[in-house]
Amino acid sequence: MSDKRFAAWLLFPAALFLAVFVAWPLVRFITDSFFTYNPISDGPHKFVGFANYVETFTSPAFANSAWRTVAYTVIVVFFEFALGLIVALLFTSLGNASRVFRTVFLYPLMIAPIVAGLLWRFLLIDNSGIVNQLLYEAHLIPSPDAIGWLSDPNVALFAIALPDIWLTTSFITLVLFAGLQNIPADVLEAARIDGARYPTLLVRIVIPMLRPVIAVALIVRGVDAARAFDTIVVMTNGGPQNSTETLSLLVYNTQIANGDPGLASAMGTVYLVGMLLASVAAVMLIWRPGSEDR
Amino acid sequence: MNGLESRRWSTRTIIWIALAIAIVLYAFPFVYMLFTSFKIPIETNAIPPKILPSVWTIDNYVKALQTDGVVASFINSIDTAVISTLLSLVLAVPAAYAVTRYRTRLGRVFILLALVMRMVPAIVVGTPLITVFHNLGMSDTSVALAIAQTTISLPLSIWLMASFFESVPTELEEAARVDGCSRLSALWRVILPVTKGGIAVTAIFAFLASWNDFIFALLLTSVRAVTTPVMIANFQSQFGLDWGTMTALSVLYSIPVILLTLALQRHIVAGLTLGSVKG
Repeated sequence: MSDKRFAAWLLFPAALFLAVFVAWPLVRFITDSFFTYNPISDGPHKFVGFANYVETFTSPAFANSAWRTVAYTVIVVFFEFALGLIVALLFTSLGNASRVFRTVFLYPLMIAPIVAGLLWRFLLIDNSGIVNQLLYEAHLIPSPDAIGWLSDPNVALFAIALPDIWLTTSFITLVLFAGLQNIPADVLEAARIDGARYPTLLVRIVIPMLRPVIAVALIVRGVDAARAFDTIVVMTNGGPQNSTETLSLLVYNTQIANGDPGLASAMGTVYLVGMLLASVAAVMLIWRPGSEDR
Repeated sequence: MNGLESRRWSTRTIIWIALAIAIVLYAFPFVYMLFTSFKIPIETNAIPPKILPSVWTIDNYVKALQTDGVVASFINSIDTAVISTLLSLVLAVPAAYAVTRYRTRLGRVFILLALVMRMVPAIVVGTPLITVFHNLGMSDTSVALAIAQTTISLPLSIWLMASFFESVPTELEEAARVDGCSRLSALWRVILPVTKGGIAVTAIFAFLASWNDFIFALLLTSVRAVTTPVMIANFQSQFGLDWGTMTALSVLYSIPVILLTLALQRHIVAGLTLGSVKG
């Protein structure tokens, strides 16, 4: 057997698995988007051409949801990156002494998103939430119910971003910290001798050298944030007034609650294509894969 | 010493204090949940809320564990996570090895496709899987759920394992081949033992992906195979907002992963950062 053949055999089980349990369901999902049928009575599939897509693109619910998903992703990624970078730099300033802190930072990453969502709902809940109470006691807000975290449609999208930021800022921190350790000390030393101060070092040397690491961290987090479901379902279930209904929830609700799999599939397909295009664009824009192998 | 490390004592002290405050704030939500799980019912919904319980009680834990289906859901969560982890490893290890060792064009296409599959929203794969498992007569089983969760963990496992195999020198395999090992036994007897650490890391991540999964469990289980995340979510609709029981169950469900992290933190950091930093 040639090496090529042998390699193909090693790949075969995983490839078969992905074909049967990812690619095939995807094909079915996309096929469903051209039909209309009742999922409960399992009635006949009626071919409707692009009707579900027309409905998707003309539906204000879809447009609003898509917009919310983008806004949610931007909020989550922005805060995680800003906080993550600051903490990673602080860790680096302490060097090995930061180990204790790094260990504690690991824990939120392990917590189930469903638990985090529930926990934050409890922290932010109207009337008896501890966050508002603490803000009130610190004289930052006039009364303990001044911010309707989960009931004010203008605030809720930020509120549902909190558990995500809480859970995964650590991921960005640890990845950036590891990246920072790989920056050669002599480069920084040379710049220092030339009189560069910390802010200059950061903007001129550190960030440009970290670019590939930053890119991977942002893309991984962006993709995950755009798919968020668990935390949002338990915190608000899309409310109030649909203000937190992102695309995952819209597809789920259209499929399960409204029982319209055809429309749900069309929406999901557009969502999927949008995610792939956005990821490719992100890779091209910030990663700029160079001549390197991978 | 890294060039960005601060050398002045005053600066280091300030950073130390700032980080200590950050850690306290960061840990607060979880600690508050822990305290709440020991409160008596009237205090969990008290206005204004208090941080510490006035009376400590384990009633919430007793109630959570006595609720129908909770213990069974724990067992289901463990079963599902173990099956999913094994499945993920069995599929990912040979695939990742093929990709890194034999750099064929097929391998490159494969690993790229695996990456693309990581971007597919779970809801998009999950809904058609309901029908797929129904047709296979596997509705509401732990194996079906484990398979679904593996669709998420497999691409990640392949990427992780690929970076671990990357660091194994090819000479090692060549030497084994010269000694008369077949390609398969060289992989099994020489390469796998030296990548034990990497396999452990990959296993942890596959386990966590399954343990923490909610959406597939929501879509694919109804009675027999229900896992604890679904139970936790059900608590809020079924019984109103019984925060004491919900926080107790959440704490219980987090204990295994906290212990796992405590025991294997070094490996976990390695796994988290490896793929990204080398990428």
